[in-house]
Amino acid sequence: MSNEISLMIAIPLIGAVLAFLTRSRGLARIVALLASLAPLIISLQMYMGFDKSSKMMQYVESYDWVPSLGIKYTLGVDGIGMPLVLLSTIVSVLVIVYSWGENHRPNQFFALLLLNEVGVLGVFTALDFFLFYIFWEIVLIPMFFLIGIWGGPRKDYAAIKFFIYTHVASLVMLISIFALYFTYRTPEGLHTMDMLTLLQATSDTTIFPTALLNLIFLGLLLGFLVKMPAFPFHTWLPDAHVEAPTAGSVVLAALLLKMGGYGLFRVIMPMLPSVSDMFVTLLAVIGVISIVYGGFMALAQKDIKKLVAYSSVSHMGYVTLGAVALTTMSVQGAMFQQFSHGLITCVLFMSAGTIQHTVGTRIIADLGGLADRMPRFAFLMLAGFLASLGLPGMSGFVAEFLVLTGSYATMPYYVLFVIFAGIAVTAGYHLWAVQKVMFGPILKKYLDVHDAHSYELLSMSLLILLVILFGVQPGLITDMMGVAAQQLIYDPVMTLSQMGVI
Amino acid sequence: MYSDYAYLIVGLPVLAFVLTIFLGWHLPKGGGFFTVLATFGGFILSYGIFKEIYPNEILHQSMHWFANFNVGILIDPLALVMLLMVTFVCTLIHTYALGYMDGDHGMARYFAEAGLFTASMLGLIFSDNILQLFIFWELVGLCSYLLIGFWYRKPSAAAAAKKAFLVTRVGDVMFLAAIVLLYNNLASLNLTLPPGEYLLQFKVIYQNVAAIPPDQLTYIALLFFGGAVGKSGQFPLHVWLPDAMEGPTTVSAMIHAATMVTAGVYLVARLFPLFYAAPSALLIVAYVGGFTALFAATMGLTAFDIKRVLAFSTVSQLGYMMLALGAGAVVGAASVGVSIFHLIGHSFLKALLFLCAGSVIHAVNTNDMREMGGVGKYMKYTAMTMAAGGLALAGFPLTTGFFSKDEILVVAWEYGSATTDFIPYILGILGALLTAFYTFRLWFVTFTGEPRSDYHKHESPWIMLGPLMVLAFFALFFGLGAQEPFYHYLESNFEHYDVNFEALAAVGQHHIEEGEAAHEPFIIKILPIIVGVGGILLAILFYYPRFRKLDTRKFTTENDPIRRILLKGYYQHEIYTAWFAETVVYGIALLSNMVDIKIVDATLNKISETTVAFGGSLRKAQTGIIQNYILAIIFGVVVLVVLIKLWLEVSI
Amino acid sequence: MIPLELYILLASVMFAIGLYGLATQRNGIKLMMCTEILLNSANINLVAFSAYQPNVNGQVFALFSIALAAAEAGIGLAILITLYRLYGTIDLDNINAMRW
Repeated sequence: MSNEISLMIAIPLIGAVLAFLTRSRGLARIVALLASLAPLIISLQMYMGFDKSSKMMQYVESYDWVPSLGIKYTLGVDGIGMPLVLLSTIVSVLVIVYSWGENHRPNQFFALLLLNEVGVLGVFTALDFFLFYIFWEIVLIPMFFLIGIWGGPRKDYAAIKFFIYTHVASLVMLISIFALYFTYRTPEGLHTMDMLTLLQATSDTTIFPTALLNLIFLGLLLGFLVKMPAFPFHTWLPDAHVEAPTAGSVVLAALLLKMGGYGLFRVIMPMLPSVSDMFVTLLAVIGVISIVYGGFMALAQKDIKKLVAYSSVSHMGYVTLGAVALTTMSVQGAMFQQFSHGLITCVLFMSAGTIQHTVGTRIIADLGGLADRMPRFAFLMLAGFLASLGLPGMSGFVAEFLVLTGSYATMPYYVLFVIFAGIAVTAGYHLWAVQKVMFGPILKKYLDVHDAHSYELLSMSLLILLVILFGVQPGLITDMMGVAAQQLIYDPVMTLSQMGVI
Repeated sequence: MYSDYAYLIVGLPVLAFVLTIFLGWHLPKGGGFFTVLATFGGFILSYGIFKEIYPNEILHQSMHWFANFNVGILIDPLALVMLLMVTFVCTLIHTYALGYMDGDHGMARYFAEAGLFTASMLGLIFSDNILQLFIFWELVGLCSYLLIGFWYRKPSAAAAAKKAFLVTRVGDVMFLAAIVLLYNNLASLNLTLPPGEYLLQFKVIYQNVAAIPPDQLTYIALLFFGGAVGKSGQFPLHVWLPDAMEGPTTVSAMIHAATMVTAGVYLVARLFPLFYAAPSALLIVAYVGGFTALFAATMGLTAFDIKRVLAFSTVSQLGYMMLALGAGAVVGAASVGVSIFHLIGHSFLKALLFLCAGSVIHAVNTNDMREMGGVGKYMKYTAMTMAAGGLALAGFPLTTGFFSKDEILVVAWEYGSATTDFIPYILGILGALLTAFYTFRLWFVTFTGEPRSDYHKHESPWIMLGPLMVLAFFALFFGLGAQEPFYHYLESNFEHYDVNFEALAAVGQHHIEEGEAAHEPFIIKILPIIVGVGGILLAILFYYPRFRKLDTRKFTTENDPIRRILLKGYYQHEIYTAWFAETVVYGIALLSNMVDIKIVDATLNKISETTVAFGGSLRKAQTGIIQNYILAIIFGVVVLVVLIKLWLEVSI
Repeated sequence: MIPLELYILLASVMFAIGLYGLATQRNGIKLMMCTEILLNSANINLVAFSAYQPNVNGQVFALFSIALAAAEAGIGLAILITLYRLYGTIDLDNINAMRW
């Protein structure tokens, strides 16, 4: 049995403890960098060795944990999880590089970032509901402290709102998990927490009558939609983003939101055929509203970080829509949107953060002409915003194109009409913000502003390079997504033992 | 041998972009020669390919990209003439820019972006599938955004750049929608494609349009046309083009002549079989084109900004190209040749006019014609070359513009006589009259008379005049030399794909002309000459000091409502920006913000408040006084004991 | 041998005294003393029952309980000393910082 995934999760965990114990900033950040580079290398190696045409779980590890309760320590990745694992490890490294100059309690700061990485990597690889839920909750803790300690003026409100909102949603999800757990018995008459076994069982109406399954489904859905976040459960996001420190925002938007989308693919989609048809419509409506509403909301914002936060709502709407449109292309596009949005949104939040601490404000109306003093930063920020508005040649376009093209076949045409209107609005607020912040004559009060720090520019430019790489060569990652999408839509769920991997 | 390196046509300018952006800051002239050489290299390659495949071959290379899509190079007659034109004109414009941009701090940035602009346009032209075309199409839009906003410190430039991107983006969204629609329609045909062929390739599109339901075809064609309308500045999305004058003049020349705006016409020409098969799509193309041709020309009458006049004339001329394509409903694929010939001729003369205007602006340091006057005395070469461009634009006999515009009016007439719908033709003729008039109004006001302000009186350097001479030669004589072989060559374009136009005509419900078209009467033949020369004469009477017979003030006053409307550009700023963008769209945004705060978030806050309030009332029970707790415990124990006792009694 | 009822009676009386003390006193030290009385009444019961049954479990529990009571008294006194330093009093009515 392989042990790459465990290693990948363990190293940042150990790194978090070590970084926490260090006394100096210099040591803390070096420990953090090393502890996040190691998982990156492991995940790249996994990517190289990943069989892209296989529908099976790969790199599976499975050990008994609490046999009497049917709880196992099972990890594994397939085409759904692998890209997100890659994304998590990449973003974790870059966010640590971006925070190189953190002064306030640096050891704790870096430790929390590493702990965060542990959580998301666990979520994206866990194949046991119990383990999944543990990692799902672990993620909340570092984010709560990142917002609560390093946050802005209303950090207490934002941290508590974030924590309680998402925690309540995940408790509802936990109830659903228990309902699955207690309803199903293995042929030996035991309970099990094994994710794939339970998901497979949901298609059997003798075990899960539709009425019960609808309730279970609703609970799980709530947990994931709040995390995504989809309209109307999105209001924690702008508050959390506005108050969170830059690194917190980046991790929040790039990785935490992806957990919701991942849940949609891993848990929700296999259950869709056996629950009421109404849910597909419901999800499609939520997706479309999120796209358009998020766009308009972003246009109305005065704070650039809030604008970016709402653009996340809008972009994550494509994930919901693509997932329920149920064509190979749309699901593939939705998965790619997750990956691509993870990269792009990093640049956007880093831009907002850099503006905040070089200029001291993020209110768009108070900014102007910064390109004059920050040319390099302006270039990167412009690139990020263009990527976010879906410029071809960058990854966002590929994702949106796949979702739209794929969705047309199964969605009514007016849905697409609404979304296309939304795309135009999306271009509007991105360009408006960039123009107001960067162009025009430089304001007198900003004459002595300097360009961004080199480490900030470094992490941003690496992200832009990745965005362009995956925009020009999306096949690097869409191939495995295509296989996974195909399997999600047309094949029943296979358990690990049916796959023959354990 | 050249064909193997076709990808370098785009590759070289991209390389120049990379080199200039990283090294240009340390090189003389911002490393602009990289861009010039790369573009010229593209021209050499295109010419080599021309030599290899002319006249009956096409070049097609393709490879898999991702999912169901490919990337590829397709050089057929249509693409080839465009490639030759773009590389040629861009080489000249870049050369000119070496002189024009000299001394600007952002020269390296300019040449990097100009290189990317050229590359995107070239990539757009030789794409072998519609998705790749769209990608380059958007990159063209991006580069225009960057270049129009080149002087980003000027608020008006930044605003114009944003406007250009947003307005064309509206068109692009329609374009994208068209691709989505087209892909799904093609996919639902369940074609079995041989390996190496993909659904969105032009070849596959051409061969299968007839199988798509006609109503879907019309939607698709109109959405594609929406994209073309945005890019080519047709009514009602023309508003960004005049504003795009905020960029350096060379950028305007590039946008208006070689790159960007021609892309819309090219798109319609490229998808001509699809438009042909779609009922009533070409009719709309013809009407929009004809209307724009006249509409833009009227605005050209009153503008004072020398570049704005030229911008309106570009919009108007693009209208002619669209009109020609629309007339294809009757004359078939021949209209593509007519339209593209005007496109090529126009790009020579419009590049020339813009570069001349740039030369004047370079000397005079203002765009306002009211401050010029008598410039011709000091800038002889510029005046001469601009006159050549003006003659060509006005359609003076035997110049390039004459041949191309004449042919457009002929097909418009044929369209009219076949459908008894002469409106596009009439719009075209009126537009031609106005074109000749405002072109020479521009020339006389600028170059003749007395200086109306104190400007630098010197001729531009030779690095700028050289390209002007070359362009002037082509503007005057290209039509004479190339017309006949050009039409023949382009007519063969769709033969390479076995497009069955009869079948398409049946789908599109066009009547096919039997035999030779009815010959147009003599008056129709000479009418273009009359309006062209007549317009020039009219301009002489109004604006040439030596022959001035008519005074504009007799015909119009400052408060003339028509004049005011024209000056305001039909109030498009008020309608598009102030009303639509800032009131309607932003209003919706504010409204949804209100909903978010007052309803969505307020509901959430209400839930949490209720929870907290409930907890607050429960908390009252916890007095924090130990004695109370102990009393409660004692009381509880007593109650329990009593209850247990009673229960025991009862159960026994 | 002294009958078991007397032990139980003694324990009950001590328990009642302890409860009464807890319910009426305000002084922290007194409250702690009452708690000790309560614990000891329970210990007496444990030991007494243990003695009347032939096994020592009860006495073992009593020893545990005494040890715990000692620890509790240590911590309790420490808290009270800290409180005294902070407030200058150990009257629990005056110590209301964490009360609503």
